[in-house]
Amino acid sequence: MSSGDPLDLGLRAQAAAIAAGEVNPNGLLDAVLARIEQRNPALNAVVETFPERSREMLSAAPPGPLHGVPLVIKDEWPLPWRAQRFGAAELTVPTAPQESGPYRVLRDAGATIIGVGNMHELGAGSTGATSYYGPAHNPWDPERCPGGSSSGPAASVAGGLVAAAVGADGLGSVRFPAAYCGLTGLKPTFGRAAMEGHHMAPTTSLIVSGPLCADAGDCRLLGSVLCGEELAAGDADGLRIGVVRDSVSEDVTPDVRGACEEAIEALRGETGGEVREIELPDLEIAAVAAILIINSESMGGTTPQQLNELHPELSPVARGTLKYRMLLPAAATVQATRVRAMMRRRLATLFEDVDVIAWPTIPAPAPPLDAPVVDLPSGPTVADQANVRGGALANMTGIPAISMPVGLSDGLPVALQLQAAWGADALLLDAAEALERANGRRWVEARPPLAEATSAGA
Amino acid sequence: MEGATQTDQFIAGGLAALGIEADEVDLAVIAAVHQLLWPPIVELLALDTAGIEPEPCPDMSKAPGE
Repeated sequence: MSSGDPLDLGLRAQAAAIAAGEVNPNGLLDAVLARIEQRNPALNAVVETFPERSREMLSAAPPGPLHGVPLVIKDEWPLPWRAQRFGAAELTVPTAPQESGPYRVLRDAGATIIGVGNMHELGAGSTGATSYYGPAHNPWDPERCPGGSSSGPAASVAGGLVAAAVGADGLGSVRFPAAYCGLTGLKPTFGRAAMEGHHMAPTTSLIVSGPLCADAGDCRLLGSVLCGEELAAGDADGLRIGVVRDSVSEDVTPDVRGACEEAIEALRGETGGEVREIELPDLEIAAVAAILIINSESMGGTTPQQLNELHPELSPVARGTLKYRMLLPAAATVQATRVRAMMRRRLATLFEDVDVIAWPTIPAPAPPLDAPVVDLPSGPTVADQANVRGGALANMTGIPAISMPVGLSDGLPVALQLQAAWGADALLLDAAEALERANGRRWVEARPPLAEATSAGA
Repeated sequence: MEGATQTDQFIAGGLAALGIEADEVDLAVIAAVHQLLWPPIVELLALDTAGIEPEPCPDMSKAPGE
């Protein structure tokens, strides 16, 4: 719900207001910087601003779909004036300031990069609880995890600092923070969104850039810019929704299960579609396979000597995890690639019978920052372990996925994930928009108390 | 405990064989991560994939075979 303040408009509305001459982009930039100064101390979502660089971008901004709109970009890509830190004191690969792919497409679309978003250290977590900069905080409850690894982008949008942000998704890292913060987040089909300049771009087969926004329409706009092609609006009429009766949909809290089942039924009704139960075994094995694949892609070239000379400010968890990764057996990684082939073929077959596969993005709402553990029917579970089993499939197979808010549980967002066939990114947006119509945009317009409390005076 | 001993030996021995130094904090973290990750890795290794045709150099942007 917009307060009428341009700062509280969504991405489409902000861009349209600028294009119509109703909002001065220079004034908006200053207002966004002021809001970051006001709200960021409680959120730690933005780890660096660079007003002069932002003003230079704005003064040189071409006409474009994002002309004059200030955005946050995750600390995962270099900018011409700043190397990425990846949320860490040190990377084991060299980095340098440069024009990354996301920077170029944002610049060419007329956007202004106003700040760098916090992230989970080394991208290695679904909660955002660990970062070189200290953790970002969830605007719905600052004591709770914002989700990771794109923690800062999500918290900056949910907290009303900016209308949209660019994240990255290697094992769910756009979708988890979108879910924890009540946003819509798109993980595009692998290879479709700008990735150049990412330190893993030459080796990764899982990571993509993706938008975090208030709703699906805003994700369509920013996603189209990131993909360099229009994710054209269509319809989701007659949508065939596949559901899996497995731990991803059943080992979840009752509130999550109820909200997601209600959303699936609402989506079916809105599209005049149908719900089909499908079999997709070995999801938990697929999740560990994805971890092994991303591990092998990230550790290539790392030497024992580098691991003996890690930066002293790298967290103990990161230090230990990096060293442990060297012990993982190569045979398991080879096996993981076979599992990938198996899951890709299974999905190709399944997508002949269904258009989307639906299950909860997260099995439980955001856990406390100081104890990121969730209570599931199977018992207390480390949030990372619980989250990855529903998030990894899209990355390991390349398919697109979207997370959208579908309710609140004790004041914290819960979310539904939809996954579709390769290249069907636009269909996911169509389906998400259909769900927004079905529930009267109730959940995409819900705003956290922090944003509500300070809007009037911001 | 026997299990803990085997784990300790695997971790400490593996790191030492690679020339990777680890202090007590590192070892505690590694043991915790190992406890979470190793059982599903063993399960993965036990999966019968003999009948699965590998997909060499897959194009992840497309369905297999496209």
